[in-house]
Amino acid sequence: MIAARRRTELGLMVMAALITAIAYTLASLGSTASIPADIGPILAVIVGLLAAAHLATRRLAPQADPVLLPVAAALNGLGYVMIARLDEDLAALQATWTAVGIGAFVATLLVVRDARTLAQYRYSFLALGIALLLAPLVPGLGTEINGARIWVHLGPLSFQPGELAKIVIALFLAAYVVDRRELLAMTRRRLGPISLPDLRHFGPLLGAWGLAMVVMMAEKDLGSSLLFFALFAVVLWVATDRAAYLLLSLLLFAAGAYVAWRIFDHVQVRIDTWLNPWTDVSGKGFQIVQATFALAWGGLTGTGLGVGHPDRIPAASTDFIFAAIGEEMGLLGATAVLVAFVLFIGGGLRIALRARSPFEQLLAAGLTAIVGIQAFIIVGGVTRLVPLTGITLPFVSYGGSSLVANYILLALLLRMSDRANQADQADRADATQLVER
Amino acid sequence: MARQIRRLGVVLLVLYGAVFVQLNLTQLVRADGYDDNPANTRAVQRDYNEPRGQIVSREGVVLARSVAVDDPTGQFERQREYPTGDLFGQITGYFSFTAGSDGVEKTYNDDLAGRTQRDTPEGLKDALLGETQTGDVVLTLSAELQQLAKDQLAGRRGTVVAIDTRDGSILAMYSNPSYDPGPLSQVDQRAADTARQALLDDPAKPLLARSYRETYFPGSTFKVVTGSAGLTSGAVTPDDPSYPSSGSYTPPQTTSAISNFGRSVCGGTLFEILVVSCNTAFAQMGVDIGGEALSATAEAFGFNDVPPLDLPNGASSPIASAATLEADPPVRAQTSIGQNSVRATPLQMALVAAGVANDGTIMTPHVMAEVRDDEGTTVRTYEPTQWRQAVSSEVAATMTEAMVQVVERGTATRLQVPGVATAGKTGTAERGDGTSEAWVVGFAPADNPRVAVAVIIEGEPGASEATGGRVAAPVGGAMLEAALRVVP
Repeated sequence: MIAARRRTELGLMVMAALITAIAYTLASLGSTASIPADIGPILAVIVGLLAAAHLATRRLAPQADPVLLPVAAALNGLGYVMIARLDEDLAALQATWTAVGIGAFVATLLVVRDARTLAQYRYSFLALGIALLLAPLVPGLGTEINGARIWVHLGPLSFQPGELAKIVIALFLAAYVVDRRELLAMTRRRLGPISLPDLRHFGPLLGAWGLAMVVMMAEKDLGSSLLFFALFAVVLWVATDRAAYLLLSLLLFAAGAYVAWRIFDHVQVRIDTWLNPWTDVSGKGFQIVQATFALAWGGLTGTGLGVGHPDRIPAASTDFIFAAIGEEMGLLGATAVLVAFVLFIGGGLRIALRARSPFEQLLAAGLTAIVGIQAFIIVGGVTRLVPLTGITLPFVSYGGSSLVANYILLALLLRMSDRANQADQADRADATQLVER
Repeated sequence: MARQIRRLGVVLLVLYGAVFVQLNLTQLVRADGYDDNPANTRAVQRDYNEPRGQIVSREGVVLARSVAVDDPTGQFERQREYPTGDLFGQITGYFSFTAGSDGVEKTYNDDLAGRTQRDTPEGLKDALLGETQTGDVVLTLSAELQQLAKDQLAGRRGTVVAIDTRDGSILAMYSNPSYDPGPLSQVDQRAADTARQALLDDPAKPLLARSYRETYFPGSTFKVVTGSAGLTSGAVTPDDPSYPSSGSYTPPQTTSAISNFGRSVCGGTLFEILVVSCNTAFAQMGVDIGGEALSATAEAFGFNDVPPLDLPNGASSPIASAATLEADPPVRAQTSIGQNSVRATPLQMALVAAGVANDGTIMTPHVMAEVRDDEGTTVRTYEPTQWRQAVSSEVAATMTEAMVQVVERGTATRLQVPGVATAGKTGTAERGDGTSEAWVVGFAPADNPRVAVAVIIEGEPGASEATGGRVAAPVGGAMLEAALRVVP
């Protein structure tokens, strides 16, 4: 018998496919006034990829949450339409990366049958995370693009190891903290108003955090730096319920941010253009001003797909894709994207709440926070709510590493959801048997 | 941990709520401002290849029109052409695919593109029949007066503004140097960008519409405002006080004295000191009436505000706040003679003259007279509105009388229109490098005013009170005389 959750998921997946196909057709009508010639093959690819992912959850995680995968698929599809409308070559690559991402999704579900087993590899994950973070700094391996040294080239392949690092670091953190959360919650030392646990337990965390920060500074990747900081803070706080950790993290971050502001010109530029981009609209403020113009031009309902000028925004298909969506789909389309992320966060945190082990609880919360905070960092930056720090919009932006990493993250969440729901069902079956006896 | 996870959800929800609020602000609340920003080229991109109406002068001279073009790239079918070259460049503005638009092309974009006409029954019919619609914008400016302004400036840097005092119609507004919008608006974008860059690099700043976007020390022309403030405050009447005859005046709280041009000695009642443009007396008047009174009248004339002219990005004419003027008598004294804390656009000084001329009421300045559809039917007409009540009609009458005497027997004799009672005031604002700005403001006929002018000629050698009267007043007189024929 098919689980009810999978029937729900099937319906939602059909909707995601329809949204993508219709948006793709509209974008083509908008820019060339014709039905796209490749709508047949495109539709086949969309249906094929979504079917593969859905069949995988049927077989491998039948009781998993039915909403997350369709939400991710819809975001992925919408992003693809926008990328195709901006740059056909990138669109072909994005389609390929989506296939790889869904492959990684299936593989993760296949390999990881119980997320708890991952906890034993915590130090391997730490080592892997550090290696991934350091890789772009290795001469000959890493390359600097647009001022940030976050790329690794291996032969014809290039990827951002930082995207994968965030998952393995989350795995390490969840495993490490969950063992010591009582110890970490206990306070042994006082540092002014902040009480700290024994340095023996806290030290390694501080070291890992410091390393991540230093590496990020060396790579000048402010967005990822902010994301890692937030991940550390969230995991520690959720595990211990000690507001002191939030306060301490905030202080450490403020110190780091101040140092970065003093040392790096580009950080000062980011702050200046955030506060007032209008003093240099054709220079430093160009990108954010163009994004603002794009959003304003979109208004409530947008210009219509293919009819706006999002090509005027630098990096419209990657970091600034949200502004492109806001221009052509308006406040309504942009809000739909925000709602999709809120749904994803809701689903992820529900998984965290229902998870059967503390490790899984912490891991699910951490992974969900990664997606939720990453999307906020870039969406808030593009709308000039917070200073702009370049980072991809999960599932939406162009970018292979980002897509693959986020699909793996999604698979881990669904794996934990499946286990929790299976266990619930088993409990209920036991209870029924007890009653019947 | 469940409690923290729920709290995490709340925190994230708040963050996304903040983004949603910010999106609403950007996409709805502040959207119009962003759409109109001069750096935003989207409106021009949308309309660049569409049919577009003409901009014509008040007598029907074509200032801007769209013509068919043979674009080698096949991207464009038509481009803008400006038959009068640089004569109206700063008024019509340009219409560039890459650089956006300016001037009337920007302000009245929707009319020129035919978007406003679509709301009329006739327009609706055309739209249903699929006919193209455009609108022609008729300006209040006269090509004849504009040409006269250019001829009178004779290549010197400066600005001439002429305005109909009764309804705020701008009759002429020309600044030297100006620019030809044609090269900026051509379809060959590389050539257009090159032309634009050349203008941006030009140290004379031809793209800068000095008339309403640049401010200068108004010098002695500001004494019209100071005198009006004195009369309004009640502390000054035509007969009292009589300021002491002096060659220099030292305000309180300072040791640096204010002196008259050429160390001349002057003084007397309001009319006497305005006729000879007596610095020491007006500085003392400003100090005596106080910062509140000076500031209130200046702001009533429109200082510290951007005149609501229907051209984009006008400048305001700044003056120090009432508190600053009140607290700092030396600044107040210098401001009273048009130096230190006060600066004015030529348009603002024309509006000062227009306000005195029009019984103290300043009408909203505007360049659009009416919009016609492509069949010549008037779609809409500019409705004159009052911008400011600068002074009472009594104060305006007294200042008019004083300014008539300035033309009859004072510094502005060369502003005189033959056979017509003329009111005026000259000014010479020192730039500190041995040169000065020569100013004149005025209006005519004094007994039933129709036209006001402001003229500034920049960087004239020498600095004496005579400079404004010698250099600027003849230009103003010629403009007044011609403008009175244009608006009978």
